[in-house]
Formats: sequence, structure tokens, C-alpha cells
Amino acid sequence: MTLNQVYNGSSIEEVIELLHEYGNEAKIIGGGTDIVIALKNEKISPKVLIDISKIEELKKIYQNGEYITIGGGVTFTQIVESNLFQGNMHGLYKACKMVGSPQIRNKGTIGGNIANGSAAADSVPPLIALGAIVTLESKEGKREIPLEDYYYAPIKENELLTQVKFKRLEKDQILTFSKLGLRKALAISRLTISTFVELDNGKIQNVRVASGALGKYPMREAEVEKYLLHKKLDENTIESAIETLKVSMDERLKGRSTLPYKRVAIFSILRETLEAAIAFENEVKA
Amino acid sequence: MKKISLTVNGKLYEVNLDENMRLIDLLRDELGLIGTKEGCGEGECGACTVIMDGETVNSCLVMAFQAEGSNILTIEGMERNGKLHPIQQAYIDAGAVQCGFCIPGMVLSTKALLDKNPHPNKDEIREGISGNLCRCTGYNKMLDATEKAIKYMEEE
Repeated sequence: MTLNQVYNGSSIEEVIELLHEYGNEAKIIGGGTDIVIALKNEKISPKVLIDISKIEELKKIYQNGEYITIGGGVTFTQIVESNLFQGNMHGLYKACKMVGSPQIRNKGTIGGNIANGSAAADSVPPLIALGAIVTLESKEGKREIPLEDYYYAPIKENELLTQVKFKRLEKDQILTFSKLGLRKALAISRLTISTFVELDNGKIQNVRVASGALGKYPMREAEVEKYLLHKKLDENTIESAIETLKVSMDERLKGRSTLPYKRVAIFSILRETLEAAIAFENEVKA
Repeated sequence: MKKISLTVNGKLYEVNLDENMRLIDLLRDELGLIGTKEGCGEGECGACTVIMDGETVNSCLVMAFQAEGSNILTIEGMERNGKLHPIQQAYIDAGAVQCGFCIPGMVLSTKALLDKNPHPNKDEIREGISGNLCRCTGYNKMLDATEKAIKYMEEE
């Protein structure tokens, strides 16, 4: 490792000031679960490391009017233990609960999961399906960007990811999630899908489908969304939705060795998210 | 060098750190607490697990300077008045300790689990130690040990 200066950040302002001062010589460390490995293997070699793991204002989850805001330093364990992500918000709980291991969830953060830019980031597809907006702050000011667009204009070296927010769900809106990993704990996602649907008597009024590890970044699946909109959510619709997503995958992953495997896997993964939405709807009605 | 203070096993330390040191390096090389093991160095195996401010962490994935002001429990801090902690005793009595390399981390994960949830079911126990690899036992012994530990602690 090549560090010669480290800071225990105590406020957002202080961190932004330090980022302004050091520019590309500095890196932010939150939970450390990815960056410490990168430092150790000298994949990155910053001179300065700024710790944000003890900044209280980054570690809060709160409701403000119609929005829920999650601070960039909120850990997966905090999400799992919060009572906000039960019921129709279960998809986000499930994604965070399936991250790594207890030790990783205790340290790993939502902000890090986004800023690290991994295609397989578990919490990102449900946040995209929620229509989440990311806030990035620098000395020049604040910038807000939809998470689904974030990967095309990612964090700059002088910016800090301070929060992600999304609208609270109405009772007929359901967020679900499904992940394929190679084993239960500590598995990097091979394929994830998160689905947001708004149902009116079983008919899909609004839908967002987000995938992880199906491309360079987590992303919306426009074709399958287009297919699902205004359909009745039933077995036939699910079958056709799977076929639609397969076509999108064939184009995107052409020539990749993982394509035949992912083509088979998507059958269960997309099905699971949509069936979970139906099951939730039935449970609420009953 | 960076000066930090932290509490380890109830004792306050002030240390001058190399900025590049990880928490596991601080514990083992500076403080001599070699009960904490380094396995993979990537957060996969859990051998380096310690309890930091009430939660388990992989000490190979925490930079030492991040522990400024923190309260850390390592395996050396588990014994009470010269006697093994009931969880440690239960691990021995259940035959859950074979080669022993995973045990410090495994015991601390078990402690963190029981601190939060004193009566876990079998699935919750498996989940609680899911971040700790053991290549000897096949984990069933750890389940037995945890159930024994719950009994021991109730009897205290």
C-alpha cells in the first residue's frame, strides 16, 4: 500500500474540502469491504485515504414526506434491521440480506455498493426498480441523478455520494428481488432481478424491471417492461416476459460464455420476482 | 504515522500507526493479540473476525486508522476471571474444535449472534456463522456447540 496520509472524516463538509484539496490522490473508504482488497493488491494506489464510516449524518435512514432517504454510509445490516423495508418493500430487504456474510453486511454500505460501480452490486437493481435518485456533493455543489443513469455519469474524484432517495411505495405497489449466486453466503451475484409493479385488480399499471450482472452495469430492462405494461400478471404473462427478456439477453450477451447458462437461469429468477408480487397481492387481499 | 486511541478487550491503547496497516495487522503485530487469524485476507473466510463496536467485522477489511475511538473484542477478551467463556467451553465440549484455525472467528460470530438473539433456531445459527469457513467439522458441531452454549449461559 502507498498511503502516507489518512483522515478520520467527521463531517460531509470536511470530507468535501479534503477531496477538493487532494483530487485524484485521495480515495474514500466507507465499509472497506472492497477497497481494502484493492489497496492490498495495489489495484489502486492513492496517497490519501479519507474514512467516512463514523460520520453520523451519512448513517441515517429517514422518511421525509413521500420520500425515504438512505445515507451513503448506511450499512446493509441497518437496512435489514430497519422496519421500513418489510411488506411490499421486501425486495430491498432481501437484496441486502443476501449480500456477502454478516461481517460484510455489518460494514458494507449502500453508497459503496453504488460508487464502486460493480455490475453485480446486490442493492442496486432494487434501488433502480424503486426509481431511486442519487445525491453527489462536491465543493461546486450538489448534483442529483437517477440511479439508472448514474453509471453513465459516475462519481467524480471530488464528489462524495451522500444519499439515495426514492418515493415510499403505495399499498398496491410491490418491490421484489431474486438472486442467483453460486452458494448461499458470500456469493457474488451471477444474476439478479428486481421488479417493481403497481397492480390494479391484477393488472400491471406501472412497472420497472432492473437486472444485475446482465450487462456492464445494473440496468432497466426496457423490452420486458414494455411487454408487461397493462398486462394481467398471470402465468401466461410471466412465460412471455421470460421469453422477451431472453431476446434482450441474446443481443446484449452475444458470444459470452455465460449466455447459455444465464438464459436458463433467468427462467427461475424473473419468474420468482413476478410470482412473489402475485403472492404478496393475494396475501394483502386475503 | 497516525496516532489513534482505541479500546481492545477493555484496555485503552494509544498507538502510532503506519497508515497502511489494517486492523488485523494492528492487533497481531503491534498489540501481540495473535488469537485473531488471517486466512484469505479478502473477507471470504472469516478467520480474522473480531467484534467492533458490537458488530462482527473482518479485521482484514478494516484499516487500522478507522478503529479510532472504537471498542474491539478479540478472542483474548472472551475469558472471564481466568475461566473460558461459556461459548468457548461449549465449543470444546461439543467437539467443535478440530484444527482450531477458524475457532477464534467462529466463537466471536457466535457471541455476536447470541448477544443480538439469545435463542436462535438452527437456521439462524447457520446464518450467524455463515461468514466463517471451517474445513474440518462440516459445521454441525458448531450448531451443537451453540446450543450447548445457550444452555450453559442460562445455567449461570
